[in-house]
Amino acid sequence: MSFLSEVRLKDKFGPFVEFQAGLGFVPNLVLAQSLLPRLIEAQAMLESAVRLREGAIPRVQKERILLIVAAERQDTYCVALDSKILSSLGLLEVQIDSLLADYRNVDLSGSELACLQFCLKLSHHAPSVCSEDIDALRACGFGDESIFEAVVVTALAVYRCTLSLGLGPEPDFGARKLPSTRIVQQHGPASHGLLSGSHEAGQRNGPYVRAPYLSPKTFSPFAIVQKSHGFIPNFFRAQSLRPDLLEAELEAVGRILLPEEALTRVQKESILLAVSAANLNSYCVAMHCNLLRGLGKPSEEGDQIAVDYHEANLSVADEALLDFAVKLGTRGPEFSGRDVVKLQALGFTEEQILECVVVTALNNFANTLQMGLGIEPDFAPPPAFEENKVHLADAVATPIGREGGVYRGDVIQDLDAGLVAQAQDGKLEAFEELVRRHTQLIYRTLMAMLGKPPDAQDALQDTLLNAFKHIGGFQGRSKFSTWLVSIARNTALQRLRARKDVESLDEPERGEEGDFRPRQVRSWADNPEQLHSKSEIQQLVEAGILGLPAKYRVVVVLRDIEQLSTDEVARELGLGVPAVKTRLLRGRLMLREWLSPHFTASTKGAVK
Amino acid sequence: MITCEEFFAEFADYMENQVSPEIRKELNLHLSQCRACRVLYDTSLKTVKIVTESGSFELPHSVSDPIIDCVMAKLRKDRS
Repeated sequence: MSFLSEVRLKDKFGPFVEFQAGLGFVPNLVLAQSLLPRLIEAQAMLESAVRLREGAIPRVQKERILLIVAAERQDTYCVALDSKILSSLGLLEVQIDSLLADYRNVDLSGSELACLQFCLKLSHHAPSVCSEDIDALRACGFGDESIFEAVVVTALAVYRCTLSLGLGPEPDFGARKLPSTRIVQQHGPASHGLLSGSHEAGQRNGPYVRAPYLSPKTFSPFAIVQKSHGFIPNFFRAQSLRPDLLEAELEAVGRILLPEEALTRVQKESILLAVSAANLNSYCVAMHCNLLRGLGKPSEEGDQIAVDYHEANLSVADEALLDFAVKLGTRGPEFSGRDVVKLQALGFTEEQILECVVVTALNNFANTLQMGLGIEPDFAPPPAFEENKVHLADAVATPIGREGGVYRGDVIQDLDAGLVAQAQDGKLEAFEELVRRHTQLIYRTLMAMLGKPPDAQDALQDTLLNAFKHIGGFQGRSKFSTWLVSIARNTALQRLRARKDVESLDEPERGEEGDFRPRQVRSWADNPEQLHSKSEIQQLVEAGILGLPAKYRVVVVLRDIEQLSTDEVARELGLGVPAVKTRLLRGRLMLREWLSPHFTASTKGAVK
Repeated sequence: MITCEEFFAEFADYMENQVSPEIRKELNLHLSQCRACRVLYDTSLKTVKIVTESGSFELPHSVSDPIIDCVMAKLRKDRS
């Protein structure tokens, strides 16, 4: 028995048939997930596409990667299972024992040795993988397809090891002897010519393998992703070299993350965010912060989970759930069946615990893929997370300390910090100076939301009074100017709600995409701004912006006039990045239609 | 070559310079061969430039100063 109960599923259950056909039996690791058969389907899809399907790397080589990664993680369950599979593929017992004792002494080709070294580095400390490692693989004759497969097979190995650790299945076969110390620690990475030391995230230069363009029109899984995310994240685009594998992966992700019969979407995204943060994976942190916002969570909550979930506004049970996931996902040797019992004591069902294990495994799969392929960010992670990465780096090795976990960096960097401290002590002169510095920023935000100068001026007054009232609660987790804008936004929202003709800023995105097409196709003059005086252009632009629906107007003003980044706009408005992108494009195109008659090549004279 | 519709699907990211080299290559190729999309791209960039440099919604000091003065007077009065 594993840590959790099992139920008997029919022998004809599709994934069982696949495992029977591919491996000759159904592993206990699979049976341990029988409470939620869709999770077994997900694993079967991944294993079938990554492990069993013929690709650029021969099957035996893939199995050696799976075995060596499991051995490095001291995963006795997977080692026994993978040894048996290698044996069924024709390897002698003595060869398997040698491989486990020290793979470098086995008679393997130079390129396969290089590949195993790479996979171990990726599994052991993914953030240190860099473009030099990929170059070294290429020097050994690896092409994009082989590098891609090596990364995905390693990710699958990490997925399976996380599952086996979290579920504690009975061994399928007798245990094998493992080296007494972990391979990577014993023969430190620096001793290998291939392996370079740890790299700062900023020095990474991905993506490492080519990614041919895949159209949502011809590749239907992308159409689904586009619909659910609003865009196609680089995470999926970067895997377009193997559409078959990508399709299986998307199917598996859907089965694990979308249903809400056990854990909620918010709980799952919180797990993905907390474990990605503990794994120092900026890409996945940014992605899950964004997805949490899309599920209606304020950006501050996601940011705080990324920085230190212990300080986030979570229930005792949800905090324990993240403790469980982070321990399982990043501090494997400390994890045991006792952690499962703890969650049960807090009222979590076995199905929920099972799902937490699988979501954590999926997270480690995704983190490994992202680091191994050097996938470029879609948008920036929370600044607080990036600044706090050093603390988090320590936290990977040791449990997260409560002290120092809350980000304080912006207070130091914010030029307003000195005045803010004085204002918080009640000095009105300091507050007045702060207000004068940021009046324009506040006013533009208010104009963007309210659209009428008298309303914006009244709201400016209310904003300043509200800011003074609440300045004692400002904790320096964002810049002071950002905090002021959020006060302005809330003040404006109150006014909008009080109006009978409320222009909603939060309308659903349904129908926003695709149904607006630009009409004007006449080209503009080379230097259109020279056709009119500055004040004429200002009037024209202001009229155009005020004519936009509120939800587009706000985004255009914050992005193109205030020049906040797309990510900052999303945070300011509590929207997901895709929604901001969609609204920004719409707003810009509407303005373009409005401005077009005044700036075409033949336009002459003053603004009409 | 990709279609105009596919170009438009990537247009927001292309404007923000947030597409991968592979996709950028496809989009550039499309632009080089499609006048309508080229005009759309060029005029959209010019729109953003004009809007950004327009100095729109600046509040003149003659309007903002009395508002700030009024707020500060109220805060001082509340304190005393």
